[in-house]
Amino acid sequence: MDATTRPLARARPLAPRWLGRMEALWPFLLLGMAGLCLPLLDDSYLGVIATRACIYWVLVSALNLVVGFAGQIAIGWVALLTLGAYVTSVLTAGTAIPALPPYLALAIAAVSGAIFGVIVGLPALRLRTFYFAMTTLGFATIVTQVALAWRGVTGGGIGVPGPVFPEPFDSRWGFYYFCFGIAAVCTWMTANIAASRFGRALVAIRDAEVAAEAAGISKPSLLMIVFLFSGAVAAVAGGLFASLQTYITPDAFTFDLSVLFFIAILIGGRGSILGPLLGTILLTVLPEFAAPLVAWSTFLYAALLLVIVLAMPGGIAEMLDFRNRRPLEQHREIAPRTDVLPRVLARSGERAALTLQGISLSFGGVRAVDTLDLTIHPGEVHGLIGPNGSGKTTTLNVISGYYAPQSGQVLLGAEALPQRAPQRRAGHRIARTFQTPRLIGGASVLENVMIGGTIAGRGSFVESLLSLPRHRRDEAALNEAAMLALTTVGLEQLASVRADRLQHSELRFMEIARALMLSPTFLLLDEPAAGLSAEEIRRLGALIVAISRQGTGVLLVEHHADLIFDICDRITVLNLGKVLAAGTPAEVRSHREVVNAYLGA
Amino acid sequence: MLESIISYGLAVGAVYALIGITYNVMFTASRVFSFTAGMVGMLGGVLGALFINRLGLPVWVGFPLTLAAGAVIGVITEIITVRPVLKSIEQHLYVLSTLAFALMIQQFTAIEWSTESQPFPRLIDIGPGLLDQQFWLPVLACGAVIVGLELLYRHTLIGHAFLAIAEDNYAARALGLPEQSLRMMSYALAGMIAVLAGFAGGEILLAFFGNGPMLNFYGFVPVALGGMGSNRGAVVGGIALGLFQQAANFLFGGIFASVAVFVVFIIVLLARPEGLAGAVAVRRV
Amino acid sequence: MSLTRRHVLAGSAASAVALASGFPRPAIAASDPIRIGFLPALTGPSSSTGVAINRGTELAVEEINNAGGVNGRKVELVVRDTQSDPTKAVNGVAELVNRQKVNVVYGPLNSGEALAATPLLARDGAVQLHPCFVDSLTDPKKYPLCFRNAPTNQQIGASGNRYVLGVMKVKKVAVIGDTTGYGTASVDAYVPLLKQGGADIVYQGEVDASNPDVKPELLRMRDAGAEVVMPWSVNAGFLARILNTRAQMGWDVPVVGQTTLGSGQTRALLEKPENWNKVYANNFRSCSFDTNGKLPERTQAFVDRISAAKIEMTDTLLWWIALGYDSAKLIAETVKAAGTEPKQIAGYWDQLKAWPGVFGDITWTPDNHNGYPDKDLVFVEANSFRNGSFKIAPGYT
Repeated sequence: MDATTRPLARARPLAPRWLGRMEALWPFLLLGMAGLCLPLLDDSYLGVIATRACIYWVLVSALNLVVGFAGQIAIGWVALLTLGAYVTSVLTAGTAIPALPPYLALAIAAVSGAIFGVIVGLPALRLRTFYFAMTTLGFATIVTQVALAWRGVTGGGIGVPGPVFPEPFDSRWGFYYFCFGIAAVCTWMTANIAASRFGRALVAIRDAEVAAEAAGISKPSLLMIVFLFSGAVAAVAGGLFASLQTYITPDAFTFDLSVLFFIAILIGGRGSILGPLLGTILLTVLPEFAAPLVAWSTFLYAALLLVIVLAMPGGIAEMLDFRNRRPLEQHREIAPRTDVLPRVLARSGERAALTLQGISLSFGGVRAVDTLDLTIHPGEVHGLIGPNGSGKTTTLNVISGYYAPQSGQVLLGAEALPQRAPQRRAGHRIARTFQTPRLIGGASVLENVMIGGTIAGRGSFVESLLSLPRHRRDEAALNEAAMLALTTVGLEQLASVRADRLQHSELRFMEIARALMLSPTFLLLDEPAAGLSAEEIRRLGALIVAISRQGTGVLLVEHHADLIFDICDRITVLNLGKVLAAGTPAEVRSHREVVNAYLGA
Repeated sequence: MLESIISYGLAVGAVYALIGITYNVMFTASRVFSFTAGMVGMLGGVLGALFINRLGLPVWVGFPLTLAAGAVIGVITEIITVRPVLKSIEQHLYVLSTLAFALMIQQFTAIEWSTESQPFPRLIDIGPGLLDQQFWLPVLACGAVIVGLELLYRHTLIGHAFLAIAEDNYAARALGLPEQSLRMMSYALAGMIAVLAGFAGGEILLAFFGNGPMLNFYGFVPVALGGMGSNRGAVVGGIALGLFQQAANFLFGGIFASVAVFVVFIIVLLARPEGLAGAVAVRRV
Repeated sequence: MSLTRRHVLAGSAASAVALASGFPRPAIAASDPIRIGFLPALTGPSSSTGVAINRGTELAVEEINNAGGVNGRKVELVVRDTQSDPTKAVNGVAELVNRQKVNVVYGPLNSGEALAATPLLARDGAVQLHPCFVDSLTDPKKYPLCFRNAPTNQQIGASGNRYVLGVMKVKKVAVIGDTTGYGTASVDAYVPLLKQGGADIVYQGEVDASNPDVKPELLRMRDAGAEVVMPWSVNAGFLARILNTRAQMGWDVPVVGQTTLGSGQTRALLEKPENWNKVYANNFRSCSFDTNGKLPERTQAFVDRISAAKIEMTDTLLWWIALGYDSAKLIAETVKAAGTEPKQIAGYWDQLKAWPGVFGDITWTPDNHNGYPDKDLVFVEANSFRNGSFKIAPGYT
C-alpha cells in the first residue's frame, strides 16, 4: 500500500463532534442535575453537607490547576481559605473599617486571595518540590497565627461572625444554590483551561519541563497566573465557608482540612477535572455516613492516598478512562507523509544561518566543548558525530540554550542568541528533540503534539477561562496543525491514544511532530534513530531530507553512521570536545584521523 | 534570661539538628525527602513514655526497645513508600507516599495514644536548674550521633558502602554493592536517629502527637539552610534555629517567634535555594 | 373525619417516599423515645471536658431508663463527636436537628464550637442547653431557645476577683491565657473586671498551648512583680508547664485560675507533687469538701452512686461528671412536666426556680438564661485532690 495514496486523516471522529463532547460531559450533567434537584428531598442536613461539598469544590477546582495540572505540591493551601474567610467576615462585621456589603467584601477577599496566592506560590519558581511543600505549610501556620494575634480585627481566639448574604441567598436552600452556582461556574472555567493551551502547558511543566521550555513555555509567568487565579478562587471559597459556619474561629482551619483538599485532587487523578470533583464529594460526604469512623477519617484518607500513589497514580480518572483500555493494533507501521510538509512548514523565505563561534564549555575539570565553530545553513542537513563523551549533546544543549558557554556565542544570522534562555528559542523558530523522549504520559498523542505549538496561540488566559471566541479559534487552529504534523510523521492513527502506550520508535516520531509545530527554521535532532528498526531509520531519513528541502536547517546528532552519510549535506566530527574534521560526507569519510578514531576501516 | 535562652535553645536546637540529620541520612540513601522524619521523632517521645511510664519498663529496657521500634518503622518506610516509587518514572510521587504514611502515623498516634500531651519520664536525676539533664541530654545525643556517623562513614566498610551508593548509584551497583539492602539499612539508621531525637528531647517536648508536624518543619529548616545531605550544615543550622527561636520567644512572644522563624527561612531559601552550604546541580537535559 | 381513599393513597405514597429515602419518621407517636442530641468533643485537643461530662450524662440516661423512662418513654442519647472542630459541630447540628429530629440539643461543650453552633440552632428553632463559659453564648433576645446551666466568664471572673482581691488581698496580678477562643475570651473578660476591682495588671498575654517553653512568660511576670498568677486554659499540658516552670524557677507565687488546674490530667504532668502547692482552681461549693472535709449530702450520695457504677473519677473533675448528670436529668424532668415541643420546653425553663441539681441549683428567667448561682462559685486547693473533689481554699466563710 502506497503511503501517498491514503486519504488524509480527519481531525474529527466519525460521529458528530457534539456527540463526542457529550461523552465527556455526561458525568458533569448528571452531577449538575442531581445537585439542582437536591432541595426536593427536603433534608436540611443533606443541604448542609452538599453546600459544604460545593464550597470545598470551589477551592479544589482552582487548586487542581496548581496541584493536579502544574504538579506543585501546595499542601498548605488552607491558608487562602483562612484568608478569604477572615477578610470577608471582618469586612462585613465592620471590626476594622465600617461594614461593607457582603458581595463587595467577597470581591475584596478575591483580590487579596489573588495577591496572597502569588506570594505563596513564588517560592515554587526557585525551590524543589519538597521545599516548596514545606513553605506552603509554613504559610498556613503563619496565617492562623496572625488571625490569632490580631485580636482587634479578627477577634483573636474568639473569632468573628461570618457574612450573611442578602436575599434570596440568606435561606438554607438559597445559599445552597448560590454555592452550587459558583461551583458550577468554577467547574466550567477550569474545564475550559484544561482544554486550552494553558492547561496543556501546565501539564507539560509538570511532566516534561525540559520539553516545555523548548516549546517556548515560560514557567514563571504561567505559574504566577495560575497561583493568582487559584488564590482568588480559594479566597472566595473562604468567604462562602465563613457564611456556612456563621461564625469563624482560627481553630476551624485545621491541617486536616488542608490535607483533605490535597488528597481529593490526588485521589481524583492529576490532569483531570471530573476525578478531583468526585474525590471532593467523596471525602466531604464519607465521614457523615460512617459516624464511628469519624475519628479515623484522616487516617483513612491518608491510607487511601498511599494506596492510590502505589497502585494507581492516575486515581479515579484513570479508573474511569475506559477509552484507553481498548487494545491497540499490534503491528503498527509508522508511515510518514512528506507530501503534507509544505502545509506544515509554510513560511516566508529567510536565509539566515545558525552559527556557533568559538564555543567552549567545561564541567568542573572536564572540557566538554573546546573552541567549537559550526555553521548550519537553512535547507541543509548537518550531521554531528563523534564517540561518546565527545560533546555532541552538550553542543546541542548550548544551541538550544540550556547551557551557557564559558566563551563564544551562538548567532542566528548576525544576532547573538540569549544564553541560558531555552524558552526563547521557540520564538526564533528553533525546535529540537531529545535524547530520551520527553512526553506527558497521561495526555494523548495529539495533546502532546499540540504543546509544541503553544506559543502560536493568541488568546489570553482569561479568554480561555471564559471560552471566548479567540480561544476557540486558537484551539481549532492548534488542533488542525497538530493533526497535520502527526500525519506528516505518520502517527495520525494514534492521535487520541495515551502517549505512554506508544512504542519507543513512535515516541521519537511524535517528538518530531511536536517540533514541527513551530514551523521551525532550524530543527535540532538528538539521536532520533536510537532504538529504531532499519526500515524506520530509512523512513526517518527520508522525512529529514524532505524537511530540509522545505528550507529548514537540520542539525542531526547521531551514532548511526549509515544514516549520517546517506542524508547529510555537511558533517562535523567531534572528538573530546574539539572538531576533528568538517566537510562533505565524502571528505569526512576519507579523512584519516576520523577513520582512526571513529569509523574504522 | 540569657541562660534560659541558651539552655532551651541548645536543647531544642539539638533535637532539630537530629531530625535534620534524619532527613539527610534518608536523602543520601535514596535521593528522597521523607515527611516521616518528624513523625518518627515524635514517636521517640511517645514510645518512650509508653514503655517506661505506661508499661513500667526500666529505662535500660525501654530505651533500646524504642530504638528498635524506630529502626523497624524506618525499614517499613523504605519498603512501602520509597522503594515502589523509585522504580516509577514519576519521581515526585515520593512526596505523596511519604506524606500519606506520615499522616497515618500521626493520626494513629493521636487516636491510640492521646491528643493531649502526656508526661515523659525523668531519665536521670540531675538538676533542676540550668544543668538539668533535660537540657544537655539532647545535646549529648546530637554529639554522639555526629561522632558515630563520622566513624561509620569513614572507618567502616558499611559506611563506605553507604557513601558509595550516595555518590554514584550506578557505579556502586555495577561494583556489586547490594543497593536495596544498603538503602534499607540507611532507613533503619535514620529511624533510630529520629527516635533518639524524640526520646532525648522528651522531657522538654513531652509525649505529644502534635510534635510530629512541628518537628517535620523545624527539623527541615536546618537541612534546607545547611544544604541537603550535609550533616554539619544540619547541626549548625539546628542549633542556630533553636537559639534564634528561643531568643525570638523572649523578645516577641510565642506567636511572632514562629512568624520570625518562617520569614527568615523563606528569605534565605529564596536567596540560596540550594542552601548555604550549596549542593550539586543535576544534569537535566 | 372519615378515612377516604385519597387519604389512604396519600398516606401510602408518603410512607413509600419516607421508606425509600430511609429517613426516620418524626417522633409523633407517643411511644417513641425522647431523643437528646448530644454534641461533645470526645476526641481532639479540647476533649477532656467532653469525656468527663459524657460519663455523667450516660449515667443519668441509664438511671432514667432503668426507672421506666419518662412517662413510659425511653430516653435516647444521640451522640455526635465534634472532634473539637467547629466544622464538625456545624455538620452535627444539621444532622441532629434535621435528620435525627432530636427534641433537645445538649452541647457543644467547648466555646469555640458553640460560637458556630448556637446561631444555627436558633435559626432551626431547636432548644439548646450548654455549659460553655463565653459570655456571648446566651442572649434571650437573639437566642430565645438557648439556655446555660453553668457559670459565665463574668461570674467566674467576679469569683476570681473576690478571692484574689478580697481574700488573698493582693494587688499586682498576672493574667495568662492560651490562644483558643476560651483562653482569649477569658483574658479579655477578666482583665477589665480585675481593674475595676482595683487590681494592678502587671502582665497580660496569650500563649500557644503547645509551646514547650513558658519560661519567658513567667520570667516577665516575676520581673514585673506579680503577686499572683492567673492562668485560664483547659489544656492540662499548658497548665502543668506553668506549674513546673514556677517550681524550676524557685518562685513561690500563688497560682489562681481555671478549674483544669486541679484535674487529674494536670496532676499527671507535674514533675513533682509539690508543684501543686499554692494552686487554687475555680470550682463549686457543691463539689468541694468543706472545712470539716465533708461533701454536701446530695453530692456524697451522687459520689456513692458513681462509685457503685464503677465510673472513674481520679483522672478528671467531679463537677464535670455532675454537670453532665444534671443536664440529662433536667431535660428528662422538663419533658415529663411540659412536653417535647420547643416552646413547651423553653417556656418551662423560662420559669425554672432553683431546680435541685447535684452540680448546682439552676434558676432561669425570661431575661436571664444563665442559670448558675453566683454564690456557689468558689476556689479550691488543688493539692487536696481526692476523687475529683477538693477542699475549699482558706479564707472562705
